[in-house]
Amino acid sequence: MDIKTVITTINRMQADGIIDRYAIGGAVGATFYLEPVATLDVDIFVAFPSGPGNLLVNPQPIFDYLKARGGRMESESIVIAGWPVQFLPPGTPLVVEALQEAVERDVDGTRARVFTAEHLAAIALQTGRAKDKARLLQFIEAGVLDAAHFQALLARHGLVDAWHKFERQFLRDEP
Amino acid sequence: MSFDLQKILESKRTLRRQLAARPVAEKLRMLDALRERTLATRGGATQPDSSTLREEPAPYRVRKQQNLKDRS
Repeated sequence: MDIKTVITTINRMQADGIIDRYAIGGAVGATFYLEPVATLDVDIFVAFPSGPGNLLVNPQPIFDYLKARGGRMESESIVIAGWPVQFLPPGTPLVVEALQEAVERDVDGTRARVFTAEHLAAIALQTGRAKDKARLLQFIEAGVLDAAHFQALLARHGLVDAWHKFERQFLRDEP
Repeated sequence: MSFDLQKILESKRTLRRQLAARPVAEKLRMLDALRERTLATRGGATQPDSSTLREEPAPYRVRKQQNLKDRS
């Protein structure tokens, strides 16, 4: 079980032209900025190469490529180096932007593309499950967010009301 | 031994800050170890059975499923 091998495999897949661009999101993405929190899978957001008449997302080339290299399908994921990996198209304008503005990080000599902390926090707010709210609190407590960048992101993607609600629920003493 | 909640909470915060500040490669290795431990406590199953109470999937996954459904 080795998450670095997952990253290396995805880099190779990108170099081989199977995907255009990728970025790590979810709990694994958050680990680039926060303390590690147990997770069972790796969320990889991908831009698919576009072609004439190719308007719908087709992950089949990814699965074919990885199966030929020892990957194994498991439900909606493909298992690489012991990790179930989910390949996700950017489904909202926020995630599209997160993919475009993802940053490159070094992992022991291997490059990895990961969402910015501000995008991960905004996506957590937008997704809104209990564990997403817990992650957003982690980001705030860790002090890793650029406040101006984060606020601009919230405004651009219609998340200001959701943020105020979150603030009322979790960041103020009074109910 | 004293029971000072504030001290305990501060100590937890300090530990979390220290963990967050570790090199990314080391933190990713911790994720490997955490996943192995989680699977061990679940008896090796990577997918919880249907009787297990689970949180709903993230909306972006729902959209993805819809995309795939649209294709078929």
